Amino acid sequence: MANTSPSPSPSSEGRILQFPPFQSLVDDGFWRRLSALKLDTLRTDQSPIFISGFYAPCSHSSVSNYLALHSESLPSDSNMESPLERVRGNRNKCPIPGTLLNTNTLESFRSLDRESLLKAEAKRILEDIYSGRAEEDPSVLLRFLIISFADLKKWGFYYWCAFPALVLDPPATLLNLKPASEALNSDEVVSLSAACNEWRNSSVTTDVPFFLVSISPNSGAILRPLKDWELCKDEGQKVLFGFYDPCHLPTNPGWPLRNFLAFISLRWNVEKINFFCYREKQGTADMRLSLVGEALVSPPSAWRDPECIPKAVGWEPKGGKLMPRFVSLAESMDPERLAVSAA
Amino acid sequence: MALKQKLYESYKSTAERFMGVRTNSAFKEKGVLSVTEFVIAGDNLVSKCPTWSWEAGEPSKRKTYLPADKQFLITRNVPCLKRAISVEEEYEAAGGEVLLDNDDNEGWLATHGKPKENNQEEENLPSMDALEISKENKGGIKSIPAYFGGEEDDDIPDMEGFEDSDNLAESDPATLQPSYFVAHEPEDDNILRTRTYDVSITYDKYYQTPRVWLTGYDESRSLLNPELVLEDVSQDHAHKTVTIEDHPHLPGKHASIHPCRHGAVMKKILDVLMSRGVEPEVDKYLFLFLKFMASVIPTIEYDYTMDFDLGSTSN
Repeated sequence: MANTSPSPSPSSEGRILQFPPFQSLVDDGFWRRLSALKLDTLRTDQSPIFISGFYAPCSHSSVSNYLALHSESLPSDSNMESPLERVRGNRNKCPIPGTLLNTNTLESFRSLDRESLLKAEAKRILEDIYSGRAEEDPSVLLRFLIISFADLKKWGFYYWCAFPALVLDPPATLLNLKPASEALNSDEVVSLSAACNEWRNSSVTTDVPFFLVSISPNSGAILRPLKDWELCKDEGQKVLFGFYDPCHLPTNPGWPLRNFLAFISLRWNVEKINFFCYREKQGTADMRLSLVGEALVSPPSAWRDPECIPKAVGWEPKGGKLMPRFVSLAESMDPERLAVSAA
Repeated sequence: MALKQKLYESYKSTAERFMGVRTNSAFKEKGVLSVTEFVIAGDNLVSKCPTWSWEAGEPSKRKTYLPADKQFLITRNVPCLKRAISVEEEYEAAGGEVLLDNDDNEGWLATHGKPKENNQEEENLPSMDALEISKENKGGIKSIPAYFGGEEDDDIPDMEGFEDSDNLAESDPATLQPSYFVAHEPEDDNILRTRTYDVSITYDKYYQTPRVWLTGYDESRSLLNPELVLEDVSQDHAHKTVTIEDHPHLPGKHASIHPCRHGAVMKKILDVLMSRGVEPEVDKYLFLFLKFMASVIPTIEYDYTMDFDLGSTSN
C-alpha cells in the first residue's frame, strides 16, 4: 500500500487525510425494476430520474459497508411525478438521494461527459451547504450519481456510479486518529456509546448519518442534529462532528467525511475539526472500531464565489481502474433462455 | 432444472394457495410457528440483534397473512471470510468435529462444535434425519446453468476503451489507493477472498417454519453464482438441503436451506431444552433457529445473540 501511495507513512504527524473510495452494490432487483420502467413508462425518455441509495455504518470489523441500490431505489409507478418524497429507511438502510441517467444507446452512454456531470453534482452539494439545506437534511452531502445503459435485447447492463466529493486544495491535514476508546476518557466512552445507541434506536434519528456530539466537562455525551450547531457552540462544550462511517479500516475515515469536512469548514468556519467515525459491531456502538480524529481544513477561497464550479472526484473505480461495470442478467431475465432451462 | 424439483415446487405452491395459515400455537409440540409467532420472534430478533431488519420486499409478492412492512427479515453485507469446505478440513485435522446425532450416521455436523472428547455430553442434542428432499434434488443444482450472469470482463472487451485517460482519482492526493488497486492483483482468485452475504429469513407457509435464503457477493460486490454459494455451506448439506428457488419476496433465484426438516429439528432442540428444565419461549425461536442454521453455514458471520440459558451447563 505504502509504495503506491504518494503520502508519507501513516504514523507520521500531519499527513494528508486520505479516504478509501466509497463502493456501490447494485442488486439484481434494481436492474429488473429499471427494465420494467424503461419498457412500460420511460421508453425513450432520457431525463434524469431521482432515486435513493441506502447505506449504514460499518458493522463488521472485516468488511466495509457500501451504498446499495435495490428495486425500491427506483420510483414506483405511482410516484414517478413526486420524486422529492423522502423514502423511508431504517437503521440498516439510511436513504441517500441520487440521480440516474439511463441512456438509450451504448454510444450515448460512452459519450456522456462524466467530468461535467460530476462537477454539476458537486455544485449542487456546494449550493446545499450554502443554503443551509444540508443542515436540515444532511443526506444531501452524500448525493450520488449513476449512469447506465440497459441493453434490453441482451439483458446486459452497463453502469457507473459516482460519489461526488468536493476536493479540498490543499488537502485536509490529519493531526490525530485513534480508536474512540483511546481518544476519550473512560467516562466519555461509556456515555458516548450510550448516546449513539439511543440515536440509533430512535426512529426519528436512526437514518440520519451526520450529527454533532457534544461532551460536557463532566464527560456526559449527547448526540444532536446538525441544526443545533449554534446552541452547541455557545455552550462551550467539546464538540465532535460525527458521521456513520461505512469504512472498516482502522487507519482511515470513510468517504462521507469528505463533504462533511467541506460543509463544516464552509458553513461554520471551523478550521480544526474533531471528527468521529461512528462504527458498530453486531448492530451496536463499538468504541474500539469507531475512530476519533483531528484534521486541519481550509476551504479553497474560490468556493466563496457563488458561480464557482468546484473541483470534484468520485467516479467509482473497478479493479483499480476508472471504468464502468457490466452485469448480465440474461440467464435470469431472457425469456428465451428461461424457456430453454425450464425444458 | 431437475423435473422432480419443478414438480415439487409447483405442488408446494398450489398446496400453499389452498392451505389455511396456522393460527394456533404448536411450537412446543411440533417445532413449527404460526404467522403471529413468526412476527413475535422476528420482532425480538430485530430488537436484540439490530443488524437484522424487517423488510416489505416486492409489493407484487406481498403475502396478505403477514404485516405489509414485516414480510421477511434480512441482514446484509455479512462477511464470510473462509469457505466452509476449507474450515471442515481444518476441523477434521484437529479431530474437533461433533456429530449431532443419536440414531444414525446421517445427522447434522456441528462444524463449530466441541472437541471429540466431549462427545458424551452431546447425546441429547437433536439429530437430523436423512432428508427426503435429497433424493429428489441430487444433482439438481448442477443441472441449472450458471444462473446469474456475473460481471465477466470477457464478455465486454470494449470496456477498456472507457478508461479515463485523465485519471482524476489517482491524481487526487486525498483518495486512498488501496493495495487491491495495484494492477498485478489477480482478479480470478475470489475463492480465497472475503465474500459477503445477504441472509434473509422468510416464513414458509407450507412447512410453517422460518426459511433461510442466501445471496452471495464476491469481493468486487458482484453476485455469486449459486455453485459458489455451495462452498459456504457445510459440505454435508451442500448438495442435499440447499436448493435454488425463487425468493418469495425478492426478485430472482436465490440459494435456500430447504425447510422440510426444520420443524422436526426445532422440536428436538426444544425437547432437549425442556428436558433440562428450560421453558422455551416462542420469541426466542429465531435465536435457536439461527444457532441451528450456523451448523449448515458455519462461516457466514451473521448475528444471533444467545441471551438465555441453553441449559447445557447443568451437570
